[in-house]
Amino acid sequence: MDYIYSILTLTGITMIGVMGTYMVTGLTGQFSFGQAAFMAVGGYVSAMLALRFNLPFPLAAIAGSAAAMLAGLLVGVPTVRLRRDYISLVTFGFGEAIISVLNNSAQLTGGAEGLVNIPKRVDLPLVLGSVIGCLLLVACYKNSKYGRQCLALRSDELAARSMGIDVNRLKLVTFLFASAITGYAGVLYAFYAQYLEPGYFNWTVSAEWLIIVFVGGINSLTGAMVSALILSSLPELLRFASAWRIIIYCVIVLIIINYRPNGIFGDWEISRLWKKSAKGEKA
Amino acid sequence: MLQNIFFGLSLGAVYSLIAVGFALVFNILKFSNFSHGGVMSFTAYAGYYAYIRLFDGHVSSSWMFFAVVTTAAVIGALTAVAIERVGFRRLRRNQAPVIYYFISSITLGILLENIITIFASSNFYSYPVFFSSDNLSLLGTTFSVADVVTLLVSSASLAGLLLVLYRSKLGLAVRTVSFDVNTASLMGIDADRVVMATFAMSGALGGISGVFLGMNYSLYPQLGQLVVKGFIASVIGGLGSITGAVIGALLLGIVEVALIGMVGSGWMPACVFVIMLVFLLVRPRGISGVIVQEKA
Repeated sequence: MDYIYSILTLTGITMIGVMGTYMVTGLTGQFSFGQAAFMAVGGYVSAMLALRFNLPFPLAAIAGSAAAMLAGLLVGVPTVRLRRDYISLVTFGFGEAIISVLNNSAQLTGGAEGLVNIPKRVDLPLVLGSVIGCLLLVACYKNSKYGRQCLALRSDELAARSMGIDVNRLKLVTFLFASAITGYAGVLYAFYAQYLEPGYFNWTVSAEWLIIVFVGGINSLTGAMVSALILSSLPELLRFASAWRIIIYCVIVLIIINYRPNGIFGDWEISRLWKKSAKGEKA
Repeated sequence: MLQNIFFGLSLGAVYSLIAVGFALVFNILKFSNFSHGGVMSFTAYAGYYAYIRLFDGHVSSSWMFFAVVTTAAVIGALTAVAIERVGFRRLRRNQAPVIYYFISSITLGILLENIITIFASSNFYSYPVFFSSDNLSLLGTTFSVADVVTLLVSSASLAGLLLVLYRSKLGLAVRTVSFDVNTASLMGIDADRVVMATFAMSGALGGISGVFLGMNYSLYPQLGQLVVKGFIASVIGGLGSITGAVIGALLLGIVEVALIGMVGSGWMPACVFVIMLVFLLVRPRGISGVIVQEKA
């Protein structure tokens, strides 16, 4: 039972991380290869505050997300003006830089051996609650004025600009929001696993999140969440095939990209179910 | 000092092979091809196994290096063509948006890396030593033979590539397609074949750089992640510009060697990131950006 709890908890944390990636990729069409680094920033900052200054968990969590947001500002400001390829590069470089800083400031962060003895403050109910809370936030953002502007910007940046959308500001706001959410995932991870090491926040984690978003469907938050649920919990349950699981992942992604380019869910959202029925009642 | 600059140049030469392989594909399909990293690790392993299974004891030691490099280049070209067939051909038919190419290439890179992990284990192998560890001395400083050969072979392959690109019919076709695919096909150029040829060239460069990386570092499945160096170099140089990529790569090599001397190899990635960020703020178009701009 404990084992299933832990899988569910880690899956929930992954889902929050995927939400961040969904916002950056699904809404504004940027590619972040360093999304996991924001998770590292959130996790390390909150854990170090709790360990060194005995900050209570809620304050540490807020500080962690804020720090991730600050990091997002540092990365976002120079890059939102540029072509898509650059933001991938800069986020990638940012990820590498964060890992190298974490590895090399051993007195503060424990270096490659990791940061240990983080108090355990996170359990399954809190993670589930956070997933639901973040999901609501992201869903509202997607349906808000900003979310719609983001979709316009993703399909055609020039057209969006000529409609009077402040493209750069919009990208930055979304990027900051996504960084804060990812940072929060890092906080949850730190206070659940009680241990942090730089290697966990590699760029391959960010790439895996991107793949999850794509499998679910780049236009669908529901799709992203369902595929996060399946792709991140299934391999845990099928541990015996662990060496092959990434290969299976990749083959699935290739098939989907080639034959169903909009992902499994296309642009279908689960909220359509009750929207439709509400309309039906009126009529 | 001179020695360090030389070492940086030889490192930069390897980076420039990666960056040019990267820029070639960017030129034609306008996306950053991360599967290049997979090709690099794959060929590095292919060269290693060719050495162990086929060449060791059959080829005289002075030709060994060239035999391994040639094998790696050929296998790299084949792999890249296969990648184009599996990952990008259908996308091009569907006129899919650029982001799909991007995801496809990342996926293929991760796929190759994991295939290697399964069949060759994730252990580190040490690459065969092709050159004696003697040093050449010239002008009062010493250079290692391996570095000299690296520099020479990289320059020769780049020169060969430029010759093909600017002095042959195929090169003309490649440049035409990179300018505008549709017009090129209207003019009777078989775009599929040109794209295939470009991937083959980029794969061959990837193969050569794979062997060099194997020699410089050791052999492990994640070796191909050094493709990032090529990415950084080609962004600094201006995306899609081949000369820019070479200049960017040489600069990157020298800066890295200098930084290792000043702050140590641990802090080097952080410093490179800051330099890159500042560079993008000051000159977002890259070194050769003006030329790319004129083309558009």
